[in-house]
Amino acid sequence: MLGEDQGTYDGAGLRSEPSTDGGSAQARSRTESPGGWMEIRGLTKSFAGELALDDADLDIARGEVHGLVGANGAGKSTLIRCLAGVTLADRGRITVGGTELRQGSPQASEQAGLAFIHQELNLVPHFSALQNMLLGVPKVTRFGLIDWKRSSIRARAAAERIGIQFPLETPVSELSVAERWLVMIGKALTRDAALIAMDEPTASLSGPESEKLFSIIRDLSRHGVAILYVSHRLEEVLDLCDRITVLRDGRIVDQALCGHLDKKGLVRAIIGHDIRAPEDRDRFTADKSGKPIFSVRDVAWRSAVKGVSFDVFPGEVLALGGLIGAGRTELAQLAAGVRRPDRGHFELHGRRLDLADEAAAVEAGIALVPEERRSQGLMLQHSVGANINIASLANLRAFPALPFISTGKGRRQAEGLVKRLGIKTPGIDTKIASLSGGNQQKALIARWLSSGIRLLILDEPSRGVDVGAREEIHGTIRALARSGVGIILISSDVEELALLADRVLVMREGRLTGELTGRDITEARIIELSYHGADGGEGDQA
Amino acid sequence: MTTRSDVAARTEPGRKPIDWRRAGVLFLSRYGTIFGLLLMFVFFSIMAPTTFFSRANFLNILSQASLTAIIAAGLTYTLVVGEFDLSVGFVASFIGLIVVGFMSYQGLPIWLSIAAALAVGIGLGLVNGALVTKVRINAVIATLGVGTMLTGIGFSYSAFPIAAGIPRAFTNLSLGRVLFGIPNPVFFMIGILLVLWVILNRTDIGQKMQAVGANIEAARLSGIRVDRIKMFAFATAGLCAAITGTLLSSLLGSGTLGVGDGYLLDAFAAVFLGSATLREGEFHIVGTFVGVLILAVGFNGLAILGAPANYQPIFKGGILILAVGMSALARRYAASR
Repeated sequence: MLGEDQGTYDGAGLRSEPSTDGGSAQARSRTESPGGWMEIRGLTKSFAGELALDDADLDIARGEVHGLVGANGAGKSTLIRCLAGVTLADRGRITVGGTELRQGSPQASEQAGLAFIHQELNLVPHFSALQNMLLGVPKVTRFGLIDWKRSSIRARAAAERIGIQFPLETPVSELSVAERWLVMIGKALTRDAALIAMDEPTASLSGPESEKLFSIIRDLSRHGVAILYVSHRLEEVLDLCDRITVLRDGRIVDQALCGHLDKKGLVRAIIGHDIRAPEDRDRFTADKSGKPIFSVRDVAWRSAVKGVSFDVFPGEVLALGGLIGAGRTELAQLAAGVRRPDRGHFELHGRRLDLADEAAAVEAGIALVPEERRSQGLMLQHSVGANINIASLANLRAFPALPFISTGKGRRQAEGLVKRLGIKTPGIDTKIASLSGGNQQKALIARWLSSGIRLLILDEPSRGVDVGAREEIHGTIRALARSGVGIILISSDVEELALLADRVLVMREGRLTGELTGRDITEARIIELSYHGADGGEGDQA
Repeated sequence: MTTRSDVAARTEPGRKPIDWRRAGVLFLSRYGTIFGLLLMFVFFSIMAPTTFFSRANFLNILSQASLTAIIAAGLTYTLVVGEFDLSVGFVASFIGLIVVGFMSYQGLPIWLSIAAALAVGIGLGLVNGALVTKVRINAVIATLGVGTMLTGIGFSYSAFPIAAGIPRAFTNLSLGRVLFGIPNPVFFMIGILLVLWVILNRTDIGQKMQAVGANIEAARLSGIRVDRIKMFAFATAGLCAAITGTLLSSLLGSGTLGVGDGYLLDAFAAVFLGSATLREGEFHIVGTFVGVLILAVGFNGLAILGAPANYQPIFKGGILILAVGMSALARRYAASR
């Protein structure tokens, strides 16, 4: 094949795992000439005259774990979509194993051995794991009926290989997110995938689940399956990948072996300049003798939240740490009136609340920026302005006594907030669907800034948000807290907690298991408490 | 009316290469229905220059369109909030019957009969709304059930057409021409559409309705009482259906079972045509009006050209399928970008 400048790559870049069995090492085709098993040359794609992908070259070797990073809108998804055959590139060539890939055909991509796992795992919820893995695969039939036993041999082998523990007959709707990921990987392997592209795989996984996924990825890599790993979590990428490609504004700006990069360099490549050094952990210490803004008093809900009490004080960013499933999201929903507690209550500025529904919470001044941005937050087909103004329509009345809305006031309010939060958009009439994730998230926060809120609960505010936008969002949250709005931050990104929180409460299995303040707030401590808790005792009361 | 200047933002052609295919799809998805209406108009004007292209016929078309427009505008509200109302035609029939019955059987004065009938219309809308939001029955089933029951209740109320004892003033409501020789229903239509447009686009509740239709979860978390908004939409649909029913009975000078049933299909066709007009699959009042005009011009033109009556349902069904198809295409196109 073409012996280009890839000479240094072979061997050197591949993470030297304690390679055990010689048999599988063979699959890893080190004998194959360097360059790429898959080669992308000059791939270019523009949307409405705007270059989304600009002359991209990329090689991926067999069994390589290749990281693909970049800010939102840098062209990662376009590249992936071109590979998947969902988007047809304007120019450029893709060859897989020496044969040119027919572009624009998802079938051709699948036949070439490319598999794709998107964040929204495309699984049929009420089908079993096995049925999902076999979806679209020709099945062995007997007398016209599917012979499941024989059809599923390959799927079962794949499941065993990646260590699936649960019965494959389980409906996907009953599986956890992590288990669904395994199903997706199994599905790819059932089809003999030689490259699996994964988009933000750890976004909804807890620490140990992520670790498990990493070991599976390493194992796949040892067996010659290449992984294209797309993530905003740079430590992970640095830790896991053999090689990293950085995209910025549709161009490939950097491509390096992992050992040659550190996180700082990576961030610089992604955003094009240095990031501000995180301020020396000089955290705000709330005056706990003062009156709290918001109090949670012995709140319990089903088995998810088991009697939680705490206070939020003025000026502080209070964070809830813990693993997925620790009950944090449920607690947030209870406070926002989405669910009603079985026991206990909330107090806002000393006044006891009885929240019948979300509207009652909003009227009291409690707002939730939800975890699922697209399905619970955005009105995708509406304009940026409409999305920002929807929670503060009362401000926009032409005459306070009449229900008529002044479009002028609406424009001014939305434009002011767009400017204040630095939302990058051509205008407030632009459809919000066309903005990047970070800017969409800013708009969702903006929604509450003119509504007179007293408590803002943010659930995973920077999921799927690029580094630059994340920093700006953090700045906004901090400023809100200092201005006297109560803040409850929920994040599974431990680094984010450590960066932003003034006080961290760690939840585990529905209970508060620890509190960290000041210099104690470190990623290590948060993780430690998430897994072990301070007491360790369990004992479900009946 | 499209002050929503996303029109301007979206169609700016300033950028480098113009993608003609995309521009074509864009044009068709936004202006295709209006273009079709004009085309139809020109075609009939050429084919029947004296009969079609005349003031008297235009007034006739508008007059025919007005009843459909009123009921379709109400239906638009339920679709804006993401629901359905299959009962509107039956409600129109039922109200048309009882409004006359109130005058003829119960001997109530005209104004009271109408007020009572419209109140019943609103009540029926609220029943639909309650079944959908409180009992959580799928809107298609709930409204179909209510509509079907109304047919039976109407039959129990009066198995025979009510033609006696109807005051002249009641028939004059729709037959009269108060201004410039324009039939009264046209003014009713203009007034009602205007009010509904203002509510939908320039009031709190209108913005909330649009939010509920766009993303119900987001609307809830934004503090919108979703159930109330939906009830309002259903009540409006009920009221509009009742107005159409009342005007229909006034026009016919009698109360007859089932006269309004056929408006269901017309209204749906108009609303879906409207959702593919100027917007990408969103339901809105101006669009609905364009949809109604397409139907009215089409029926009128076909009749004038002497097409047999059996062509009408073919045209109607065809338009309905075309309309829903275009609406779906427009939405898919909007989502794909």
